[in-house]
Amino acid sequence: MDIRVLRPSDIPLIQHANIENLPENYFLKYYLYHALSWPQLSYVAVDVSRPAKSAYDYPKIVGYVLAKMEEEPTDGVQHGHITSLSVMRTHRRLGIAEKLMRQSQALLISLGRDETEQAMVETFGAHYVSLHVRVSNAAAIHLYRDTLGFKTEKTEAKYYADGEDAYCMKLDLAPIREALLAEQLDGKDGDKKKQIEEGKGTEGVDEGEAVGDVGRDPEADSKKEDKTVKVKVGRGLGVGGEEEEEEEEEEEER
Amino acid sequence: MPQTLSTREANLFRTVIRHYEDKQYKRGLKAAEQILKKNPRHGDTMSMKALIMNSQGKTEEAFALAKEALTVDMKSHICWHVYGILYRQHKNFDEAIKAYKFALKLEPESQQIQRDLAVLQVQIRDYQGYVQSRFAMLKAKPHLRQNWTALAIAYQLEGSLEQAENILTTYEKSMTNVPLKTDQEHSEALLYKNTIIAERGDIKRALEHLESDCKNCLDRLAVMEMRARYLGQLNRKEEAAKAWRALLDRNPEHPEYYKGLIEALGIDEKDEAALKAIYDEYAAKYPRSDAAKRLPLNFLTGDSFKAAAKSYLTNMLDRGVPSVFANLKHLYSEVAKKEAILALAEEYLKEHKGSEQANGDSSKGVGAALYFLAQHYNYHLSRDLAKAMEYVEQAIELDPKNVDFHMTKARIFKHQGDTAKASETMDRARSLDTKDRYINSKAAKYQLRNNENEKALETMGLFTRAETVGGPLADLTDMQCMWFLTEDGEAWQRRGNTGLALKRFTTIHNIFDIWQEDQFDFHSFSLRKGQIRAYVDMIRWEDSIREHPFYFRAALDAVKLYLDMFEKQQASANGTNGTGEATNGEDAAEKKKAAKKARKEAQKAEREAAEKAAKQDPNKATAKKDEEPKKKDDDPNGLKLAATTDPLGDAMKFLTNILQFSPKNIEGQIAGFDVYIRRKKYLLALRCLNAAQALDPEHPRVKEQFAELQKAVESLDDAQSAKVKEVLKAKFSS
Repeated sequence: MDIRVLRPSDIPLIQHANIENLPENYFLKYYLYHALSWPQLSYVAVDVSRPAKSAYDYPKIVGYVLAKMEEEPTDGVQHGHITSLSVMRTHRRLGIAEKLMRQSQALLISLGRDETEQAMVETFGAHYVSLHVRVSNAAAIHLYRDTLGFKTEKTEAKYYADGEDAYCMKLDLAPIREALLAEQLDGKDGDKKKQIEEGKGTEGVDEGEAVGDVGRDPEADSKKEDKTVKVKVGRGLGVGGEEEEEEEEEEEER
Repeated sequence: MPQTLSTREANLFRTVIRHYEDKQYKRGLKAAEQILKKNPRHGDTMSMKALIMNSQGKTEEAFALAKEALTVDMKSHICWHVYGILYRQHKNFDEAIKAYKFALKLEPESQQIQRDLAVLQVQIRDYQGYVQSRFAMLKAKPHLRQNWTALAIAYQLEGSLEQAENILTTYEKSMTNVPLKTDQEHSEALLYKNTIIAERGDIKRALEHLESDCKNCLDRLAVMEMRARYLGQLNRKEEAAKAWRALLDRNPEHPEYYKGLIEALGIDEKDEAALKAIYDEYAAKYPRSDAAKRLPLNFLTGDSFKAAAKSYLTNMLDRGVPSVFANLKHLYSEVAKKEAILALAEEYLKEHKGSEQANGDSSKGVGAALYFLAQHYNYHLSRDLAKAMEYVEQAIELDPKNVDFHMTKARIFKHQGDTAKASETMDRARSLDTKDRYINSKAAKYQLRNNENEKALETMGLFTRAETVGGPLADLTDMQCMWFLTEDGEAWQRRGNTGLALKRFTTIHNIFDIWQEDQFDFHSFSLRKGQIRAYVDMIRWEDSIREHPFYFRAALDAVKLYLDMFEKQQASANGTNGTGEATNGEDAAEKKKAAKKARKEAQKAEREAAEKAAKQDPNKATAKKDEEPKKKDDDPNGLKLAATTDPLGDAMKFLTNILQFSPKNIEGQIAGFDVYIRRKKYLLALRCLNAAQALDPEHPRVKEQFAELQKAVESLDDAQSAKVKEVLKAKFSS
């Protein structure tokens, strides 16, 4: 297993892993949107032991976490959001989901972290990370709550397309942030980091089975990812805007 | 001549534009009509009307009107711009660029036209043109950092790395304020410049730049990785080792870091003990790291391999990790390791037999060992399907509800060639965990392998979005579910349904078009976001996107199917000349029937769509959603595709991509030969043959194709054939 940051060339097989495993799916463009907006946040687990099948082999993705920064946080607090996380059934119980999540979380903080001026920390870095999970997905809930320390914020009724409710969960990043900062200050790389790596994770905890669906954004509900992929191009004269054509809802009939 | 409007109408014209931008097409049209009532030959208004009509899906009328607008007002940049946009939307990029250039000539100051042109140029990889455009944009707005970065990107893509770096440096020097340390754009621009320095080959300078200018960059991981790599390349071993160690502390699951550390430490790659010591160090430091424990299995030999494999396997089987076999099977290419692993698994099983009850979870311990052995005997390098079945049955007996065990049983049936039982068994596995889409997908796949297309779609439908118009297939197509489309097409092909098979393969081809098109927005989006390195990565990946195995497989399927169709057509054509009338006559009749059916179905579909459209309440929110973006498919069953009279010509769409993007794939070259020789393009056939021979001279088809080509050109004496004969002769004599 190789756990590393996502590359654009991984995307077709990430999309494949997603649609193989989860009911919440996205166009390739939505993955591109993540990869090109916050390339540091999303991670993949690659099956490195699989022999290459041809001269044009692409690394087989057996797990991924797709993460983003909330662009317009409703609560005004900078935070990250886990868009989707899954691990192939054939590669479960290896702790992959947890490892992916931990890498992504560390990055969520450091992405906006200032090295010296603590005030700046507050203006940019992620303060917490949020996600949604099916209320019936016991294994995933176990991972998030017991292993990673997420707290259930609230229940969102009928969040999923099939009518199931979602728990909206949050993880406060402040402790991790402080540990990272402390590490920075006394320059000792290993110890603090280790504390972060292992701090909450109990030895030998697995995500068990079916670590699954951290699904769509609520606003993507009816329109899939359309809303989020919206790419605004400031237009002067009128004859533009064709790029948004696909992304925007048609309003003429209103 | 620019045509002037009265103040009232000029205002109206602006509202047309606004309505268009807001996608309020009906209102836009209304306003346009109002202007045209007074000024029926107002080119700009006609153009805007055309643009709106195009957005409503009336392509042909839109083009006609836009052309007419140009004839009444050749000198209007709006008319040319619109003309370009229409072409661009219909993916005729060359014509679009031409039109934009005309528009720009008439209105050199228009930022908008310039930007549209630039985006198109980078989209079609006209880098020289892109450099020019970005240069002009920079000149117009030099205060925007984006414009400097964009020109640097243009230079880099064009291959002028020095200019790229200079542009970035020039901007840096012009900065009056020191940017905040949290400035993403600045941080990324610095790292981007660093990659350019490294790409120029000057690693020493890249390192210096990284350590001085990039030390505060926000992407710390990237800085650490780049630094470790540079130090390694520069042979500054001690520092490199330290850098790799810091990375391993962040992520002990990334093999590249171990490799870097080992290189930096100068450990001989044959010194197993020293290598192992490094991994052991990290296995002890990070007990949960899989890589530290598993990677040594790659290089260890003999008894030390056995010891390490034993501890790895025991730990995994005790914990019941279902992926342990997947994690080890690559070692099977070495016979000694294969045998050692088998012995270890058997030993484990023997030791634990009888303790099943004690531990409770039957997927652990004995269950895991039985499962491992079943997979071992099911694997192609150690296959004994009878034994595999024995072990899996024992495992199932232990835990009748284990999904993984049933899944493997289905795989064993598949390898036995019993697709029916395989499908049945996989569906049984599915029924054991109906909330898991993974096993659901596998059940559908096995149904397809057993040619049960309808059933497979039903299975898939258990997880597709219920509200998608057009049902599960539409959802899977929308969501670009490549594996399903491919397997479905192949199953239809086996069932002899050429239409649906071609339909699926073509859908995959079209999805790749979409993926290519997906870049479009990012040419400007990424400049605003400032994540330049990721953008350049994306551009390079998109350049060869059709080399992806997803594309190759479907394309090769399609080419082979077209070849079959051609052969059948030939046979039936010959049939009318007197050979084998019976079957061929039937063929011809069937074809006629199929064509008639295709016509009828197409008409029916059109009728139904028209009715549906008529019934839709334009004020209903639900109706509105699918009204515009979804174009109706005028050939849902591929009947038109299957009715082609020129299958070889149609095959070219796929074949050119195969040969361009996957030239090192011998299957593609072989199929290329088969198409070209039938099209009597002997030189091109020869080229494929040469390529195939270079890849694998022993391939049986290569030899056959030699003979085939020789026979084909034997009796011909045109210039092309003479050349081919000459080459073939030279090949044989050498």
